[in-house]
Amino acid sequence: MEQGSNKSALSQLFQTFFSKHWPVWVGGILLGLLNVFLFMIKSPWGGSGGYNNWGENIYQALGFFGIENVTPTSASLYGMLNILIILGAFVGALMAKEFALRIPPVGELIKGFIGGGLMAIGAKLGMGCTIGGFFSGVPALSGGAILLTVGLFLGTLVALKYLMWEMENLPSISSGKSKTLLAASEGRGAWQKWLGFIVVIIVIVIAYSYFGKNDIMAWFVIIGLLLGLICQRSRFCIVASFRDPFMTGKSSSTIGIIAGLVIGLIGFTIIKEFGIGAGDISIRSRELTWVFPNFWLRAPIGGFIFGLGMTIAGGCAVGTLWRFGEGQVKLWAAALGFLLISPIAKNFIEPGFVKLLPHSTNFRNFMPDYIGYAWSVIIVLAILLIWYLFVKWNERTGKFSAY
Amino acid sequence: MEVKIDETLDVKGLTCPMPIMKLAKAMKALESGKVLEMLGTDPGTKTDLQPWCNKTGNTLLDESELEGGVFRFVIKKK
Repeated sequence: MEQGSNKSALSQLFQTFFSKHWPVWVGGILLGLLNVFLFMIKSPWGGSGGYNNWGENIYQALGFFGIENVTPTSASLYGMLNILIILGAFVGALMAKEFALRIPPVGELIKGFIGGGLMAIGAKLGMGCTIGGFFSGVPALSGGAILLTVGLFLGTLVALKYLMWEMENLPSISSGKSKTLLAASEGRGAWQKWLGFIVVIIVIVIAYSYFGKNDIMAWFVIIGLLLGLICQRSRFCIVASFRDPFMTGKSSSTIGIIAGLVIGLIGFTIIKEFGIGAGDISIRSRELTWVFPNFWLRAPIGGFIFGLGMTIAGGCAVGTLWRFGEGQVKLWAAALGFLLISPIAKNFIEPGFVKLLPHSTNFRNFMPDYIGYAWSVIIVLAILLIWYLFVKWNERTGKFSAY
Repeated sequence: MEVKIDETLDVKGLTCPMPIMKLAKAMKALESGKVLEMLGTDPGTKTDLQPWCNKTGNTLLDESELEGGVFRFVIKKK
């Protein structure tokens, strides 16, 4: 009897996490918290740097473009973080028996790859993606991040128009042969749960192997797994947060992202103002963490290109990773485009682009330098509040929704 | 209860936002009261569909999981 009730207590716990998707705002709050933890340990969450690390490692191994002295991914915090996000999403999908290899029509794979490539270019030109530049950049009180967000918005709107046009005029791109492999069903697929537990154990071993030698990495491994798991369970999607109000009018993704931004904003501001975790570095450089010199022209241009890419791919820097782990093969193509194009953008597109722009158009803008901490936080909160009110009003009235 | 299916929409293999976009287009072409069956594989559709139906006034009559990881949704046009 005793044993039986314990078993049901554990299975209740399991059900809580894996029987249903979580509300996006739950995911947003948890991701915001973990982002603060990452900043406490070292530096905030970022996505595009990890892809770039993967790409550079591949090109170095192949001897392309003379790329050398690349940090091995096993020693790259953000390269590892991205791998762990994929694994975390893999675990989340397996535990919920939602994992399957979902192979879309060829046209969709091509769109995935192109979208990934555009994200790589946008992240290089804008100095940040939806994670480092937006989800971490806005709470970091970076003026550039606000402009990057404007660019992301515009890019998303243009690409959404394109997708709607494609649906009417080129429906063949998204039709054709598709395949779904390894799926579980009601009575079958218990192997998915077991594999989920095995992956968790493997990750614990990986994290343990870093403890004592590289404690920061050990924590990045653990937090990365949680990030991926939370994203998959709550379907935390930054593309949707920008796109859905203008498509179906749904506001839940946007509200989830806003929740995460508010938590991040509080945590980041405290860390910066008090110089928490500064260690040997100066408090000033702690303040300037994740404030990139992309103000005011680089950020919106890069954000625009990134916005196009993520909307066509159907996943941003992190959305691509967790859908990768869930088995969405379109996003495998997007990840491949991202990692292969990123080093090329870094070495061949970015230098020329920077030369084109006057120096005065790309500097670090740390908002508290101009208006102080209090007003910076108030302004960011006001923008988020307006965004919230807009998506709620739009959801009710459908004024700006296409469907 | 088995309802008569007037049209089938196959969005297998497609990922967000394509299933909802295709659904919106197919529903637009459907006459009022007709029933559409959608077959898809994106787990995201499960959470997206009910809010979309609430908003558009269409009715989600049934959802089930078929063999091979396929989700089946039956939707009646307003």
